[in-house]
Amino acid sequence: MRFMSALCAMAIIGTGLGAQVPTTVRDSVARAKAKADSIAAADSIAIVRELERMQGAKPDTTRGPVTGPQGSTNPRLLPDFSAVGDFVADLSPQGSTQADSSRIGVREVELAVQAAVDPYFRGDVFLGISDLEGISIEQAFLTTTALPNEFELKIGRFLMPIGKQNTTHRHDLHTVEYPYIIQRFFAPDGYKGTGFWLSRVIAPLGFFQEIQVTAVNRLADRDRSLQTGDPVNRKLSGLGYSARLRNYWDLNESTNLEVSGTALTGIREEPIAAPVGPVNALNARQNTFGADLTFRWRPLQQGLYKSFILQAELMRQSTQAVSATVPGPICRQLCAGSPIPPTTVASSGSHYTGGYAFARYQITTRGFLGGRYDQLQDPLFGGSTTRAASVELEFFPSEFSKMTAAYERYIPPAGIERINRILLQATFALGPHKPHPF
Amino acid sequence: MFSKLRLTLASLAGAAVIAAPAGAQLKVVTSTTDLYDIAKAVGGNRITATHIGEGYQDPHFIEAKPSFVLQLRNADVWAFVGLDLEIGWMPVLLDGARNQRIKQGAPGYVDVSRAIPLLDVPSGNVDRSQGDVHPLGNPHYWLDPENGRRIARLFKDKFTELDPAAAAVYAANERNFEARLNNTERTWTDELAKIRGQPVVAWHTSWRYFAEYTKMNIVGFMEPKPGVPPSPSHLAGLIQTMRRTGAKVIVMEPFYDQKTADFVASRTGAKVLILPPSVGGVKGVGDYISVMDYDIKQLAAAL
Repeated sequence: MRFMSALCAMAIIGTGLGAQVPTTVRDSVARAKAKADSIAAADSIAIVRELERMQGAKPDTTRGPVTGPQGSTNPRLLPDFSAVGDFVADLSPQGSTQADSSRIGVREVELAVQAAVDPYFRGDVFLGISDLEGISIEQAFLTTTALPNEFELKIGRFLMPIGKQNTTHRHDLHTVEYPYIIQRFFAPDGYKGTGFWLSRVIAPLGFFQEIQVTAVNRLADRDRSLQTGDPVNRKLSGLGYSARLRNYWDLNESTNLEVSGTALTGIREEPIAAPVGPVNALNARQNTFGADLTFRWRPLQQGLYKSFILQAELMRQSTQAVSATVPGPICRQLCAGSPIPPTTVASSGSHYTGGYAFARYQITTRGFLGGRYDQLQDPLFGGSTTRAASVELEFFPSEFSKMTAAYERYIPPAGIERINRILLQATFALGPHKPHPF
Repeated sequence: MFSKLRLTLASLAGAAVIAAPAGAQLKVVTSTTDLYDIAKAVGGNRITATHIGEGYQDPHFIEAKPSFVLQLRNADVWAFVGLDLEIGWMPVLLDGARNQRIKQGAPGYVDVSRAIPLLDVPSGNVDRSQGDVHPLGNPHYWLDPENGRRIARLFKDKFTELDPAAAAVYAANERNFEARLNNTERTWTDELAKIRGQPVVAWHTSWRYFAEYTKMNIVGFMEPKPGVPPSPSHLAGLIQTMRRTGAKVIVMEPFYDQKTADFVASRTGAKVLILPPSVGGVKGVGDYISVMDYDIKQLAAAL
């Protein structure tokens, strides 16, 4: 049967060649040949070679993935759709420690739509759906693909390049939750900014370096319970600005080291002791500086079975002390025109330092044992020290699903109850194969 | 405004592509050592070539190290196996390299699979319940010397397109490569006769093309499904299959866990044969023709 198909194709092509038919006809013959089962073609390699020789056709190798020589696998130009489910069960003996107090919950379902927009841009949209927050735009950005001089620009909302772990989706972390410095200094589900991200790879010293700078709408998410006289970003100096320098070295073929530094500045609302009318916060500049280190070991030949990661981050976040005179008009509105003089108010400023160290060792083909230690001057407790130590056991049935069991000893400042947390997590991914995180 | 922005970007992108060096040695980066070796054979001293993966490494799970970005950012040619073999790392590296010469659709973006007649192209619906399937076809095609010739011809054409001044050099080098392969191939007559029809077990579907060429009969795989590690129940069934068919050899790559294969071998009296799937997969196998020669002779000796 296979031989007959190939013979027919040869006969058709032979006829076509003999009649000096136009190229388009030869192309259609080539397509007809290509529709034949490629296994059959491989069974008759000599015939395939002969066919190609007769056609004089050279394959176009510059297009994207195809199923053999048939052509595009996406003729309707549909974008990639994918979904990630993230389930968390909180079995902590002293009660649930989840934001919504659930014992077993769908922490988030993330839907992603990704595709090239045109020859100049790629588009990525990630929507987060959760019982707690409803539907939210996790990330949505346009990425240039054709800027000269190796620049890349993102426009939209993205996970900010602040430290190492903040750029990783929460469900892709090796731990159930972000480190506490990210949760307490920025947001429990990572710091996202809306604006511009410009980056460029450089290598003036012979090793990989990348500079990433951003300008975003504001510093951190807005706390809607805080009201200032002016929006934090009324002036352009009030936007959030960040810069990050990544440095990467291969120590040998199995080990590598990444050391990076981050700086972030912007203005955010700082509460004042006594509200004046509706004003209960002042605009204060906040600066954050951080450094992170990641060491990886993965022997190439045994890379399926052995690997180790050691990672640490340190951050210091400083908020200026500010004072301001709250003008009379605010009071006149509230006091029905009574002449109350302007009031001077102040926020005290703060300096918080924190960090974590994380290690993860591969114990089997699909199993990993990890641990993390966090310590920080906790903004939640006025700068008193919070510590946490956790161990995580990860199991990957495949590249597309993950089960995690975690125990954490959470030690807040003195006088606050210490907690044992037991968390189970299951995540799965549907859709196209995504690049492996590195 | 948006159209102006696009126009500006298009102009800048065009300028970047045109700015690619002309007349200099082509800088070729390949995903695997096999493509690297064949590219070197065809390109000779008209190209400089490097590769991302090593021959003793599972090509599915190469890490997207930033240092690879440095290799790719100056490349004139990026040649890769395709068929999603590099899906786990290639997009990250190409995005990071920001090299217009090797972006998809550019002349330097060379999906080698497009020159190959494929095996194992799924005919029906595929999903991940079938394991880590390659929905576009089996990507391990270089383990058939006929496909080695196809790769060489493709490189000859591609290098000639990008460096027409050296067309004669590339053509001569390609002919020389085929001649060397033909000469070596003629020494395999006895081995191929010995291998033909013999039942063997392979760890992964990576030996399908090799089996098509040698006519060895793969009666089972150590993996229950592609990319899924062996389970006890699967191994129990596989042992029965091996006893029934008389399979005496388990063929596996150097990067898989030999203990599991040894266990099956101990229950069946079979021999575990570690064969390099790629150049550099074992010491002393330093070029593509040597890989084929080594694998065929080792297999024949084991049967």
